[in-house]
Amino acid sequence: MAGKSGRSINNVPESSVKRMIFSWEGILVLIFIAVNIFCALFSEFYNLSSLLRQMPVYLAEVFLMLTMAYILVLGEIDISVGSIVCLSATMSCIVCNTNAPFIVVVLTALIVGTICGAVNGFILTRFQELPPMIVTLATQIIFRGIAEVVLGSGGSISVTNTDGFRLIGGKAGQVPYILFLVLILAVIFAVILGKSTFGRRVYAIGTNRLTAYYSGIHVQKIRMVIYTVMGTISGLCALFLVSSSYGANTTTGNGFEMDAIAMAVFGGISSTGGKGNLAGGVISAFIIVCLRVGLGQKNVNAQVILLIIGILLVAAVALPNIVRQVKRAVQVKNK
Amino acid sequence: MSEYVLELKGITKIFPGVKALNNVQFQLKPGEVHALMGENGAGKSTFIKVITGVHKAEEGEMFLNGKKVDFKGPKDAQAAGIAAVYQHPTSYPHLTVAENIFMGHEIIKNRMIQWKAMNAEANKLLQQLDADFDATDEMGTLSVAQQQMVEIAKAMSTNARIIILDEPTAALTKSESEKLYTLVDKLKEEGVSIIFISHRFEDMYRLASRVTVFRDSQYIGTYDVDGITNADLIKAMVGREINDLFPKPEVKLGQEMLKVEHLSRTGFFKDVSFSVRAGEIVGLTGLVGAGRTETVEAVCGITQPDSGKVYLEGKEVHIKRPSDAMEKGIILLPEDRQKEGLIMSWGLGRNVTLPTISKYAKNGINNDEAERDISKKLLEEVDTKAVDIFQPASSLSGGNQQKVVVAKALSQEMKVVIMDEPTKGVDVGAKAEIYAIMGDLAKKGYAIILISSEMPEILGMADRIVVMCNGRKTGELNREEASQERILELAMEKGTGKGAGK
Amino acid sequence: MKQKSLMKRITGSREALLAIVLIVLFVIVTAISPSFLTPKSLMDMLKNNAVMMVMALGMLCVMLVGGIDISIMSTLALSGMSIGMMLKYDVIANPVLAFVIAVAIGIVCGFVVGLVISRADVPPIIATMGFMYIYRAMGYLVSNGGEWASAAALGEFKNFATTNFLGLNCVIWVIIVCYAFFFWFMKWTRTGRKIYAVGSNAEAAEVSGINVKNVKLLVYVIMGLLSGLGGALQVSVYASAMPDMQYGGEMDVIAACVIGGVSMNGGRGTVLGALLGSLILATIARALPLVPFFNQLWLNMIKGLIILAVVIINVVLQRAADRNALKGREM
Repeated sequence: MAGKSGRSINNVPESSVKRMIFSWEGILVLIFIAVNIFCALFSEFYNLSSLLRQMPVYLAEVFLMLTMAYILVLGEIDISVGSIVCLSATMSCIVCNTNAPFIVVVLTALIVGTICGAVNGFILTRFQELPPMIVTLATQIIFRGIAEVVLGSGGSISVTNTDGFRLIGGKAGQVPYILFLVLILAVIFAVILGKSTFGRRVYAIGTNRLTAYYSGIHVQKIRMVIYTVMGTISGLCALFLVSSSYGANTTTGNGFEMDAIAMAVFGGISSTGGKGNLAGGVISAFIIVCLRVGLGQKNVNAQVILLIIGILLVAAVALPNIVRQVKRAVQVKNK
Repeated sequence: MSEYVLELKGITKIFPGVKALNNVQFQLKPGEVHALMGENGAGKSTFIKVITGVHKAEEGEMFLNGKKVDFKGPKDAQAAGIAAVYQHPTSYPHLTVAENIFMGHEIIKNRMIQWKAMNAEANKLLQQLDADFDATDEMGTLSVAQQQMVEIAKAMSTNARIIILDEPTAALTKSESEKLYTLVDKLKEEGVSIIFISHRFEDMYRLASRVTVFRDSQYIGTYDVDGITNADLIKAMVGREINDLFPKPEVKLGQEMLKVEHLSRTGFFKDVSFSVRAGEIVGLTGLVGAGRTETVEAVCGITQPDSGKVYLEGKEVHIKRPSDAMEKGIILLPEDRQKEGLIMSWGLGRNVTLPTISKYAKNGINNDEAERDISKKLLEEVDTKAVDIFQPASSLSGGNQQKVVVAKALSQEMKVVIMDEPTKGVDVGAKAEIYAIMGDLAKKGYAIILISSEMPEILGMADRIVVMCNGRKTGELNREEASQERILELAMEKGTGKGAGK
Repeated sequence: MKQKSLMKRITGSREALLAIVLIVLFVIVTAISPSFLTPKSLMDMLKNNAVMMVMALGMLCVMLVGGIDISIMSTLALSGMSIGMMLKYDVIANPVLAFVIAVAIGIVCGFVVGLVISRADVPPIIATMGFMYIYRAMGYLVSNGGEWASAAALGEFKNFATTNFLGLNCVIWVIIVCYAFFFWFMKWTRTGRKIYAVGSNAEAAEVSGINVKNVKLLVYVIMGLLSGLGGALQVSVYASAMPDMQYGGEMDVIAACVIGGVSMNGGRGTVLGALLGSLILATIARALPLVPFFNQLWLNMIKGLIILAVVIINVVLQRAADRNALKGREM
């Protein structure tokens, strides 16, 4: 090219080891270890086998975190997932009680979830002006409302034939199936978000939607896919939830969206979009799961655990901002 | 008492990485209209913000009526009787006109806002301005010209003695501009001093008695409007003979690549047709708001045209979204680099490969190494001043950011490259480099559409010039027949407008 | 010309449309069940929705600056539970003092939320989600792990909701006073207009010398104050205090605002809109059991569909208006 100065631009990345240790994920690993030490000291029952035994109840929510991470990276939010879980669980219980083969039950949960997610996606991509918060607020009320109508005045349903659900709630040796599934899906979702072209595009949309669009990224298609998968995963979560309670009621999945968001945000995935990764999300999810198991063993009330989660959440987002502000203030003063 | 109402000496303002103002000076006489001129990025807007207290200068002194002042914030400047009307109205779209006018100095009695008094007062001001809207109208429903009027009313309502108008006519039609001229005259008679920023020579001749020129963040000089010729002024603004800036290569033109026929989009542009051949640079010019950007955005699928056809290499194409355009070989390098062109917080390398990641990926998984190699190659090809490909785009100067945007286009096989104001906010040195790149692209057989408001750039680089005005194409000029006067004439053609949507 | 603009003003104004919707709703419901339009029935409706109506005012302020607060019902539970326990264990007996304490707790809660949002730049949805957990758990801890304060324990306090003053129930007086105050505050005071200014264009507000951070802090304090008041009202109206009261109720409050035309992006929304929005929600809740085929179970679904319809119709109208404006542009 004309006027070329022959300047060379470095393209060798610096070693990632140093970056890893000082990253938020590094800190999370330390917190994870600390939490486990704390739980072991706090509860004499806390060990690997009790952890594996009591974990499944809390693991179902981790599924939700995996897709919620994508939505947060997009810079959006979906607060309807708890209601999708409720509706999927309700429908799968109803289908199960007709003595349908279990595969049909599974498909029902997944399809109901997928449809709900697709409805969110459709509205959000068709009416892009609408904030996701308000749309999913409406569908949150609608989806649970449908479940309430379906469940009727009793407000709950129990599974009469529990064989199928018992099967998926089972374990291989000491390890529950759900843990395998969580880990497998975590790896898949993390690789797609962190290493694939799809994931790169999600980050691009979350960081600068206009640039992404001008660069030829199908913004609306990607949003549609993510919201739909969010629904599917909610269906999956519903299945495992039913497998631990053998039923559903109008409060099933209440607040799950908040828990999923909390796990992701505590894991360093910013709700403003474009930041964080699933490694952090998964570690933070397991921190919360271990904490729940450990404290639950000593009959500490669930509300106290929520108190801790709440504090962790606010602190995890507020502290880095405060530190940055203080640093800037010091810099200005020094100048 | 000093001779000047406002005097600034030795002002230097530094932004991270750039000196936006370098030791500039300025004097404003009482009751004069003083034009401030210079190319885009010369530092005019920054200078205005220093006067109004929005930015704080690192060095320099400011005197108001001979007394040294030190503004801590915009409030201080307001209190001192300085008001600014910015290029983009900084208004509250949800509030009424009266509230916008009186924001910050509402009429209060017994701690209650006096709506009646405020509306009456606002209407009085609007009447003086001959405005065709009411004080109780919602700001967001007004046109840009009307909003500008509100801003001026706002300045008047504070009894400002110094009013700064930052490109006030850019978005106005001729008759609206005329109204503004009368208004400025009236203010002048009342003894208000006015600083007037404009790209239009017409504005300057019509209003100003003196003109100060900035170039590349520096003060060049202050001249009497009556005593300076157009050519001298341009020379002062551009800094050198225009010709040597533009290394336009002689290219043998190839076949027709892109042809646009009767393209229309209600409310934005109507019946626009033009074509561009391989190796050709077609300049698309006109005043701001003429519909140039909107036209090419419709060509590239950013928006959808209502009617009209687009042909690529003779075949009609239907482009629904930017990705379609790119697959077919048309790319738009948007005007706003920070909002549309780059992801500022990302490394340069990732920015370059963003449109084409899937090309290097295997089974959907990114190939980081291949990406790093290709982005290094492309960034060096456009001669980006960068240390490595990982530094964020925000760390580069405007000119180098533009080069990264160009590198993005080079990362794929393109036939037509559309550049929207590629040198906006770029310093002169980098400009020349971007022109050189443009010339090289043409040599390589790209068909190039160059959108620009800068006359010298269009005259220097384009083989053919398409001029738009008010959403319509008003003319097409060859390189030989094109001249500044001719283009301006076409760009300002008014009065023949017919309702486009009716 | 004048008449045309009047017509335009009515059809163009959201509030007028909402009022028409509300009137139509009233007419339909009365036609189906005449018992609806009796003073007693209406008073009951207002009383039962007092909490939502009062808190919608705070949500209006929060949403005007582009924020959101989903911690409000936890604040309500904390303040309500606190006075419930104080009354139960005879720490206090004076009903007025109970109100003051509840409001004070609400203000402190709101202040902390506001600090975290305005000073530490935590996104409102995340911050208030955290505090939703925190305050709810604190309310639970205050209740000694799940105790209730039942009607018997509340003594004189519960009488507040059954006492009439000048022929109107005291709870309804609270609603009236709150709305009257906010009508004045949002329209006639500088502070009220600052809230609008920040929501409409925070950058411009900063340039015109408004302390944006303090305005943001203020709206969450207002929200907290009203949540505290809501706590006291809740305990009084339902004559009991329990730590899980109004769980999920924040969505109703947000829904009332959204139906009332308050924009999630800030800048747009009025006190009248919040009033009409919450009245429409309250009427539907009240009327549904009276309508054949539908029953209480359908309430949520219909509520959700209404919210969705309102926001979508809004977008469609806006698009049509934009297109019309473009057509009028001369070329």
